[in-house]
Amino acid sequence: MHLRVDLAPKGKRSLVLDNPVMTASGCFGNGLEFAKIFDIERLGAIVSKGVTLRPRQGNPQPRIVETAAGMINSIGLQNIGVEAIVRDVAPIWATWRVPVVVNIAGESIEDYAELAHHLDGVAGVSGLELNVSCPNVASGLEFGCDPEMAAAVTRAVSQETTLPVLVKLTPNVTDIVAVAKAVVEAGADALTLINTFPALTIDIDKQRRALGWGSGGLSGPALKPIALKMVYEVAAAVEAPIIGCGGIVSAGDAVEYFMAGATAVQIGTATFVNPRAPLDVLEGIGAYLSQQGIEDLRELVGAALPTPRPAAG
Amino acid sequence: MKLESALVLSQEQVYQDTFLMWLSCPPVAKGGSPGRFVMVHCGDGLDPLLPRPMSFHRFRSERSERQFAILYDVRGRGTQWLSRRRASDELALFGPLGRGFAVDPQAQNLLLVAGGLGVAALVTLADDAVAAGKAVTLLQGARTAAKLFPAHLLPEEVEVVSTTDDGSTGHKGYVTELLPQYLSWADAVFACGPNPMFEAIAAAVRGSGSGLTRRSGKSVQLLMEEHMGCGTGVCYGCAVFTPKGVRLVCKDGPRFNFREIFR
Repeated sequence: MHLRVDLAPKGKRSLVLDNPVMTASGCFGNGLEFAKIFDIERLGAIVSKGVTLRPRQGNPQPRIVETAAGMINSIGLQNIGVEAIVRDVAPIWATWRVPVVVNIAGESIEDYAELAHHLDGVAGVSGLELNVSCPNVASGLEFGCDPEMAAAVTRAVSQETTLPVLVKLTPNVTDIVAVAKAVVEAGADALTLINTFPALTIDIDKQRRALGWGSGGLSGPALKPIALKMVYEVAAAVEAPIIGCGGIVSAGDAVEYFMAGATAVQIGTATFVNPRAPLDVLEGIGAYLSQQGIEDLRELVGAALPTPRPAAG
Repeated sequence: MKLESALVLSQEQVYQDTFLMWLSCPPVAKGGSPGRFVMVHCGDGLDPLLPRPMSFHRFRSERSERQFAILYDVRGRGTQWLSRRRASDELALFGPLGRGFAVDPQAQNLLLVAGGLGVAALVTLADDAVAAGKAVTLLQGARTAAKLFPAHLLPEEVEVVSTTDDGSTGHKGYVTELLPQYLSWADAVFACGPNPMFEAIAAAVRGSGSGLTRRSGKSVQLLMEEHMGCGTGVCYGCAVFTPKGVRLVCKDGPRFNFREIFR
């Protein structure tokens, strides 16, 4: 059975995964925790917790609140900073067979460029994923909300690295296709769709917002139909590989994303529901393909699109 | 570790809104110990979505099988669902998780301090300590008498002292107000309750001159709780801000030594 996918077929360096199941940033730590729990090396790729230039403590409590078939988080990018990642964590990643993609987040275009520079050529780092859902301190707007700003970040990173560059788009836009096109033109090898949706709940006993930070990002099964439509729209319009992300808890969910045009998928919140969810989804995809008599996963990619998508990878 | 299926052995409402459930799940029971926890799914499908962290409340051995109990309050739709399970139903859960209590074999006098449902995690510690021939005092505080863990469910060797916020039983006030009387007796203190209770314990320890300092070798262990997403150290939801940086309740705790949290 052919499950192998290439997320950077046109890049300076390829990013070939043995299978299309990745973990989503912020839902798998840096992989170290689960490395003790199950065979994470069977996964297609691991995406690190978002990394910033300097260590961050993150937001006050509460950081998580449950909603209908979902949850809202405002962790606040708690992380140990890029230097500690390079020094302490990457050497462990370098011993793994599974590729690790480092998710990076900045407050300015220069931050992203500097992060990319730090991580270029580091053993154990196989790619970068840009979190463009962060506010640009200069303008207060999220980088990913504006095609030009998203493209500028992508361009700045691409110039600083030979690593494959994935851009994780925010759903918080009027026209996600425009942003997708802009970042691909600026050098993105692949697109991750989508990040969490801006969301809020109120604690009615305390008469104030439930999360310590105020609002946060919605994830989980509640988000899936929204994410799926965005994948479908972008897949119909751009050629770059798409990584579908949003509410996947089962192999059936993943297959929907493939049919909508995704080359790979990321498992996020489902990992909180079941730590082994990424492997369960992978095994379920294999079972689905056998059952359907499909030898090559690529046959499914874009099956539901109006016109077939060029096979990636 | 994977999602396991646990068999409900019994379910009983033991006091107001508080339920006791015995479970059979050998892979999870095996590594369980006082202070560690399990993540319990409280629904059949994807809503409610997240499993709930539940401390090991008690262990027992039935025909050489190690079984465990959880004790929980019905607070929301998840625990409401859980309270409707009956014997022979199945639950999805995973664990055991976290860092549990560590009892120094030399410690003879154990002081347990429980705020509200915090008592759930301390009962198994009391069971073990009594079985090991140690002296155990449980200071237990609750909103009102109906919310106190029934003393008759504890080993009779345990001295139980209760306080209530409304004065309906025992001392009227917080359980921590009684601490100074017991601190010098205790060789080790184990506490579980809301964060303000830990602050009050810190104040009592500092003010007591009880010898509960680094030099004394006496240990004060706190079992902490925060909103938890994953239970496994990957979501960073259950952060605690300590003098030495941010720690996670699920992975670095839930048991913390006093000096890890307070200067």
